[in-house]
Amino acid sequence: MTSKYYENKSNARHDNYEIATPQLEKRRYIEALKLVLGNAPVGSTNQQVKDNALAITLKVLLAIKSAQIEEAVGNLSLDDIDILMKYIYRGFEYPSEGSSGHLLLWHEKAFNVGGSGSIVRVLSDRMRV
Amino acid sequence: MSATLKPYLTAVRHTLTSAMCLEHFSSQVVERYNKPEVEVRTSEELLLNPVIISRNANEKVLIESSINSIRVSIMIKQADEIEKILCKKFMRFMMMRAENFIVLRRKPVDGYHISFLITNFHTEQMYKHKLVDFVIYFMEEIDKEISEMKLAVNARARICSEEFLKRF
Repeated sequence: MTSKYYENKSNARHDNYEIATPQLEKRRYIEALKLVLGNAPVGSTNQQVKDNALAITLKVLLAIKSAQIEEAVGNLSLDDIDILMKYIYRGFEYPSEGSSGHLLLWHEKAFNVGGSGSIVRVLSDRMRV
Repeated sequence: MSATLKPYLTAVRHTLTSAMCLEHFSSQVVERYNKPEVEVRTSEELLLNPVIISRNANEKVLIESSINSIRVSIMIKQADEIEKILCKKFMRFMMMRAENFIVLRRKPVDGYHISFLITNFHTEQMYKHKLVDFVIYFMEEIDKEISEMKLAVNARARICSEEFLKRF
């Protein structure tokens, strides 16, 4: 990806919580998902900001029902799928009641769209979420 | 129960397939020296991000990759004391014979129960998809094996106590 992409990302708003919460309250989960992925603080060096972003993203991911996952993934661009994949793997690190099973479903659907490429980008990309 | 097993194994399979892109890599520090970078960690740039795939809090897989080797560590579910001790003994049995398994690591990574170390030499000598199949098959079988052993131990204990109590 180009450096311009990263520049955009690092300047992105880091208050993910504030922008996604209204959408969550209105139960527009798919819009909320697009917002949190589009504004992911990949360029940030502040771990706290990243943890907050992870928390809100996981909340969105777990709020989406199993039947809607395919539709949600289908609405995303390929760049967003990569970021989604990164969040899925981050989410696996903090297993809680039922979250892993749901994330496994997300992983399957995201893999169907992104393929091995998106997993490789999770492994090799230094811009972590 | 097995509802999450299949997606779990599929996720591990896809991740392993993606991670297992290994090539020969000579050390940057010592002349004519070649060690799995994931173990020696001589340079940050040769290591990839480690990823974890979890099924629940007690069952997860850690996959650490580098330019010439990947390390797969598995945490096996242990519901009670018997399973704990069976798992410990069984893993010890296998790790003492690690050479026969070729890709098995002699010691597990901290916090996990068993580890595999796959280097570029393994992927050169063996088919990559078969290596992935082996790890997946191992994960499938190990749970089955341990619950079977647990049943056998319990059945034996029941027979023993029956025989013993016949006298009274």
